[in-house]
Order: sequence, then C-alpha cells, then structure tokens
Amino acid sequence: MSILILAAAVIGGVLLSAQSSINGAFSKQAGTYESTFLTFASGALVLFVGILFFGQGDISAILDAPKWQLSAVWFGVGYLFLTVLAVPKIGVIATNISTVIGQLSMGILIDHYGWFGGLQIPFDWQRGVAIVLMLAALRLIYIADRKSALQKKQAA
Amino acid sequence: MKLMIYAAALFAGMSLSIEGAIYGELGKSIGKLESSFYNFFVGTIILAVVLLFFGKGSLSHTFKAPKWQLTGGLLGIFYLTILIVSIPLVGVGLSMISVIVGQMIMSIVIEHKGWLGSSPSKIQKEKAAAVVLMAASLFLIF
Repeated sequence: MSILILAAAVIGGVLLSAQSSINGAFSKQAGTYESTFLTFASGALVLFVGILFFGQGDISAILDAPKWQLSAVWFGVGYLFLTVLAVPKIGVIATNISTVIGQLSMGILIDHYGWFGGLQIPFDWQRGVAIVLMLAALRLIYIADRKSALQKKQAA
Repeated sequence: MKLMIYAAALFAGMSLSIEGAIYGELGKSIGKLESSFYNFFVGTIILAVVLLFFGKGSLSHTFKAPKWQLTGGLLGIFYLTILIVSIPLVGVGLSMISVIVGQMIMSIVIEHKGWLGSSPSKIQKEKAAAVVLMAASLFLIF
C-alpha cells in the first residue's frame, strides 16, 4: 500500500517539474503573475467540474473548518512571492536548492513533533542519514548546474 | 543582505511543507478533492487582486499561446491532490522526499530531451549520482 503512495508522490514530483517548465515557457511572454493566475484559475475550473461528478467530501463544510486550516492557501501564495523575490537576487539554482532544504527540514520537523495534528514520526538515525544523503545530492546538483550555467555563458 | 534572501528562499520551502501538512488535515474533514479545489479557488482570487495591482505582462497571451503551455493548472491539481492523499498516510518528510526525487528525475529528462522549450543538454554525471543518493535516502526511511 504505502509503496504505491510513494510511487504516486514521485509522480507528483514529475508532474510538478513538468509544470514549472511549462509555466516558465508561458511566463516568458505572458508574465510571472499572469502565468500563476492562469495555473490557479484553470485548476479551479477543472476541479469544480471534478467535484461535481466525483466529490465525496462536503465543500460547504469549508465554512466550518478552523481558520488555521484555511490559512494553508497563504503558504502556497507565500511560496510563490518569496521565490519571485529571491530568483532575481540569488539566481534560480541557489533559490531552488534553498527551497528544497527548507522543504525537507520543515517536513522532518512537522513529522517529529506531529505539528498541525497529522502523523507523528519521530526523528531517528535513518532519517538523519537520509537528510545527509539529500544534502550531498543537492551539493552535486549545485555543482552540475553551476557548470552548465558557466558553459552556456562561454558559448554565448 | 544576501543572507536575508537565502532565508526567504528557505522559508519558501518551509511554506510548502506547512501547506501540505495543513491541507492533509483539511482533506480529512472536507474531502481531498474539495481541499484541492479550495486552494485553487481562493488562490485564483488572491492572484486576481495581485494581477490588478502588480501585473505587468499580458494575460491575453493565454489565447495566443500554444495549448501545451496552458496545462500547468491541470498538472498542479494532480500534484496537490496526491500530496493531500499521501501526507496523512506516510507523513510530510517522506512525501516531500518522494516529490523531490520525482522533480529531479523529470528535470533531468526534460533537459536531456530538450522538451517544453528547453535547450537539450547532456545528462551530467553529477546529476545522475544525485538521483542515486536521493533514491538511497528514500529507500532508507521507507
């Protein structure tokens, strides 16, 4: 069961990566905020139809949901703005690497303390080693991206 | 000053994990597709306000752009809904590592093939090694 879930999450990452390339291409001519707006708006439209036919929950319960749960949308939008702010100052590569480090460390912290009422998964040595491996991988990606950026500059 | 920018990028990543954790909870009470819809619907409203005040581009390009450039929203739905399903089952850490592995593999493939408007470039050995390390870390905590 959980191997299927992990495979699905990996596919989620694959789709996210495709999305960022696609949005990158669109935003070159349309603009960053315009591209994000289109992503949200078209997503909302498709989901609206999806919920009408396949929704098993209760969308009207959104009015009774605690406000802190509704605040999640601000974190999504906040991510966007912080990225838009950081990319021109430190570059895409450094921004991406910093983002991933924040994502990982926060993910492990939330699991360890069981914040927001979800699963509680204590930090152990396997998770410690996993973080070290991830950091080493990010270091390699940083080196590779710096190299290819340099080559592109020389070619130009 | 530059340190502040790095901190901002770090916080951007932390926001993604917080967002996922909270939507995992919301999904339990109002439904998973419904939580996804909430995010895209309210996000649209927020972005509409932002566009009104800060938009410098041209939204009308939407109608001229090649159709494949319009699929970002659809892909975003799958990503978020998968997270809303997976986080309550395997936790935020494991979900995020899986997502990052998927992103890494796909970005290598996109660059290699020159898909989606990128200029094709060879797979670098550092990146291949990075994917192996990431897969190892996923295997370790699974």
